[in-house]
Amino acid sequence: MKKTVLFILAIVMMFATVGTVTAEDKPLAGVVWYNFADTFIQNARQSLLNVAKADGTIEVTDADSNNDVATQTNNINNMFAQGVQYFVLNNLNTAAISDIVNQAKAEGVTTIFANTDSPSDEDFANYDDLYLVTSRATESGTIMGEAVAKYWEEHPEADRNQNGKLDYIMLYGFTWHYDTQVRAEYSIQALEDAGITTNRIGGEIIAEYNRGKAQEMVAALLANYSDDIDAIFSANDDMALGAIEALKAGGFFKDEKTFIPVCGVDATAVGVDALKDGTLLVTSLNNPVKLGKAIYKTMWLLENDQEVTTETLGLDGVEVEGHRIWISYTAITKDNVDDASYDINDAAF
Amino acid sequence: MKTKNNFSLQYIFINYALYIIMALMILAIGMMSPKFFSLRVLRDILMQSSTRIIVAMGCMYILVSGSADLSGGRTVGLAAVIAGSLAQKSDYYIKFWPNLPEMPLIVPIFAAILIGLIIGLSNGFVTAKLKVPSFLATLSVMMVAYGANQLYCNKAPNNSQPLGGFLKTFSELGTGSFLNIPYIVYIAIFVCIFQFILLTKTCLGREIFACGSNQEAARVSGINVFKIQMVTFALAGACYGLAGCLEAARTGSATSNYGNGYEMDAIASCIVGGCSMTGGVGNVFGVFIGVLIFNIINYGLTFIGLSSYWQWVVKGLIIIVAVSLDMRKYNKEN
Repeated sequence: MKKTVLFILAIVMMFATVGTVTAEDKPLAGVVWYNFADTFIQNARQSLLNVAKADGTIEVTDADSNNDVATQTNNINNMFAQGVQYFVLNNLNTAAISDIVNQAKAEGVTTIFANTDSPSDEDFANYDDLYLVTSRATESGTIMGEAVAKYWEEHPEADRNQNGKLDYIMLYGFTWHYDTQVRAEYSIQALEDAGITTNRIGGEIIAEYNRGKAQEMVAALLANYSDDIDAIFSANDDMALGAIEALKAGGFFKDEKTFIPVCGVDATAVGVDALKDGTLLVTSLNNPVKLGKAIYKTMWLLENDQEVTTETLGLDGVEVEGHRIWISYTAITKDNVDDASYDINDAAF
Repeated sequence: MKTKNNFSLQYIFINYALYIIMALMILAIGMMSPKFFSLRVLRDILMQSSTRIIVAMGCMYILVSGSADLSGGRTVGLAAVIAGSLAQKSDYYIKFWPNLPEMPLIVPIFAAILIGLIIGLSNGFVTAKLKVPSFLATLSVMMVAYGANQLYCNKAPNNSQPLGGFLKTFSELGTGSFLNIPYIVYIAIFVCIFQFILLTKTCLGREIFACGSNQEAARVSGINVFKIQMVTFALAGACYGLAGCLEAARTGSATSNYGNGYEMDAIASCIVGGCSMTGGVGNVFGVFIGVLIFNIINYGLTFIGLSSYWQWVVKGLIIIVAVSLDMRKYNKEN
């Protein structure tokens, strides 16, 4: 008897809680991130949650796709089932962009693709309430390529085997990952635009954005190509730092003569530390706070029936082209390490 | 068992298949690039194997005792993060514990082993006391450990950033060497020797094997199966904890994603090294060789510049060949 009463009480309480949640008439934004374990994503997520909490116009709920397309699909359906007014997708499934846009259109939910490759012009023509908020991913590649090109021109001895070519190792995250692809492509493009002939050593080194893996793979390549490697490009800072550990163990970074340019992306705290140490040559910042704020501000403007333009967004380094909102990367070197800091608790927008 | 045939080629090939395959692999890679036959390569491979050897040794306790353990990788990750958070320089600008003074080296090592022990004992408790099958018990504990790790990493001011800025003594533990052999290789060898003695020369070791062979028979003959399960999971946990600490020291960083997938590598190495999935069979040296084979594949294929895609294919095929040949040894004996 006692148990039955308790059970009924519990049920009543559950409904009461649900009741209070739905009673609030705030618009709900459902955000699906590709992977909470990714530092950058975690920071952008925290920033978005902080901004939303401080402002209070739109409520944000989010989900983790665990780097898995099937989980993402479930999350998308779950968000639509919850009846969100805004849907933000940090998309993993780049092959299904149009399908997802069609699904959002059918549901009539304003949709923002975040930090991923862009829906096509047709997709934008197909659905009016479709937006993109993302960094110009290609810039992160260009920044690495330009930094190494500059180093190459200033240091004739940088061609260590004097073959007239810049022999490099390219550390990939995942080959199917959009950021990895453009970082690899545009870094080398920048070198070639500067008139430098290049030669890749060891093929596509897939270290899965993982520091330990990169360290082991670079150690193995060093044992074989120690006299040839002129530069190392990496799709993130963690892998670049793994490469630096392997280089240190291989006798590099002892003095100026044993310096090898290593480039990363993300400007993580440990990456910035390596810049200060003089081991990492360059990294670039895709500011997660700016991403979080740009996503929220876009929804906020739409909620208040305002047009989304560069001026109305009013975020430094963020440009609006139609329904595409672009965030610039900032190159970070030893000389401007302070530009790499950001505060995820900063809720002003 | 010894007959005249013992010295025939077939006998040698079947009984030493693992070693022959390892030798062939080394020979093949060396023929493609003679630089492979160098002390540096040997040192690199031993160094890269050392943390995995410790994880595999932990896993071996569990397999031999007749259970399965999926929590290894995430325990390594949690231990790496906890060790890292206690080993930072005081002037590092996003220090995990801002008010904590610089700790002596023993603190992060001890903390990592302790957290490993706690997870191991939880595995043991859920398996032995709550009677949840070990596969599921360790899977669940693994999830809890990973979640706890993410929560811990996300604590302000770290906010899920990779941990860095380690003390020199701590980094030295992972990268320094004595007589040109890295410290972590000594540690791994020490763990192996300890385990070899424990499993083959002590009463406890024999009880672990007995439990793995036939738990009911072991129980009937007066062995405290609950105790054995708790002990093996605790030992395994301690191994994972130690490996996590060394992994952080070796790479100079730690994130919540460390150790991801190590449990599968460890299980595979154990099986390649002659452990039985059903318990009661396994030897330390075989597991040691099993880990080495995996790392020679990883290292060697990158060394010769083989694309990462092909590495997966080659790795899979080598495991199939190695284990299927090794299995013939047992079929023959039966």
